[in-house]
Amino acid sequence: MASLLSSNPTLASNPSYSFSQAPQNAAAGNREHAFYPYTDNGGSTLGITGNDFAILAGDTRSTSGYSINTRYSPKVFRIGGDDETGEGAHIILSVVGYAADGTALKERLNAIVKMYKYQHGKRMSVKACAQRLATILYGKRFFPYYVTAILGGLDEDGKGALYSYDPVGSYEREQCRAAGAAASLIMPFLDNQVNFKNQYSPGSGVGHDLEARQVTPLPFHEVEQLVRDAFTSATERHIEVGDGLQMLVITKDGIEEKYFPLKRD
Amino acid sequence: MFIARSEYDRGINTFSPEGRLFQVEYSLEAIKLGSTAIGIATSHGVLLGVEKRVTSTLLETSSVEKIVEIDSHIGCAMSGLQADARSMIEHARVESQNHSFHYNERLGVESCTQAICDLALRFGEGADGEESVMSRPFGVALLIAGIDEEGPQLYHAEPSGTFYRYDAKAIGSGSEGAQAELQNEFHKSLSLEEAETLVLKTLKQVMEEKVDSRRVQLASVTKDKGFRIYSDEEMAVVVERLPTN
Repeated sequence: MASLLSSNPTLASNPSYSFSQAPQNAAAGNREHAFYPYTDNGGSTLGITGNDFAILAGDTRSTSGYSINTRYSPKVFRIGGDDETGEGAHIILSVVGYAADGTALKERLNAIVKMYKYQHGKRMSVKACAQRLATILYGKRFFPYYVTAILGGLDEDGKGALYSYDPVGSYEREQCRAAGAAASLIMPFLDNQVNFKNQYSPGSGVGHDLEARQVTPLPFHEVEQLVRDAFTSATERHIEVGDGLQMLVITKDGIEEKYFPLKRD
Repeated sequence: MFIARSEYDRGINTFSPEGRLFQVEYSLEAIKLGSTAIGIATSHGVLLGVEKRVTSTLLETSSVEKIVEIDSHIGCAMSGLQADARSMIEHARVESQNHSFHYNERLGVESCTQAICDLALRFGEGADGEESVMSRPFGVALLIAGIDEEGPQLYHAEPSGTFYRYDAKAIGSGSEGAQAELQNEFHKSLSLEEAETLVLKTLKQVMEEKVDSRRVQLASVTKDKGFRIYSDEEMAVVVERLPTN
């Protein structure tokens, strides 16, 4: 199986699959035993901010190799809620990669955000939560949480805020970010449609005279449609993405959850 | 004073039949032996003032440190056993640095005070899980001044581990007289400059020695400059401004 993939240059290069988890038809002989603490559970997440909102979305499929574990396993969570339903939360988190680590990370951050409220008598700001998440991830620098996290919320000025992470805690505030299995398919689409990369003002000239199209925050209905289009297309082109699209939208009025079916093939 | 003293003041964590912890109560007495310290919270910032007991003409007065920095936005004045304050302040400094490391924001003044008071009852045998670090209660009281998103704040922390927020508070040997004076003179619209004068005027009333720039020390916490100990030149200016010196 692996040899078949590596002999085919178009499949061996991007997009890369996590087929290393699939059973290997190794030649008989000495068998090596080892502890593999990580599994790639596939799936993809995506976050986009606007002037007064932030959206985090993720597909709900969970895979191991060619198998689908479940068609509904959420990757986007409310953080700092008052109860199990996440009511009263003001921060959202998406995790993609190894699902068990994602769950562990979510629960740990949730507990910390709740404790912060008890200890300091105020809600944790998204900026503070972003830094805390980075220190949590870096704290496991030598046995990392195998996840790509995206944190969303509203900043002190009420503007949409989005922070994206690598597994060991490097982070950055951005307008949009795709993560997970189909990140390499979705991200270039966002570069073009959210940050208007490679878009120029018509008739502004040729060569160096070309003027880049001015970047402005998108309205909510446009962003929602971008997210749905991104996942419909990713489902077509990536086998680990599909089943359902879960979305958390955070505004000054709270967090709204949306669900749209995706192709289940 | 303590009529029912008997043996209940020996065991450090033992209640007397009347429900008192004598060692903790005695530690409050230790503060009454300390030099006077005053704090005033105005809407422009918080002011701290202490008397320095200059016991000898050969004493280098700059080595008497009774106001210290905890972080750039929190400072603290002490009265009582100064050595005990060292470990409390060290703890507060670490707590403050830890907070900005983990949360990329400054530690709140109340949270800082709480962190200091968490130390206060860690004496004696030590409770389950909590390692005891002291053989006796602290013998020092602190006035914690700081500024955060809630504005300028002043807290008073005692060896018993309780703390309260004050507009104006005096601790130490002259605290009774000083507190009465603050009660009369404090009002919400006090400017920082008026607070400087009020602190020195109050200290002057309770100090045995004459007030001069060597025998008193001021510090302020403001939004613009954060925590700042007054220089000798600034002290001289404020002392000069006192009505009848």
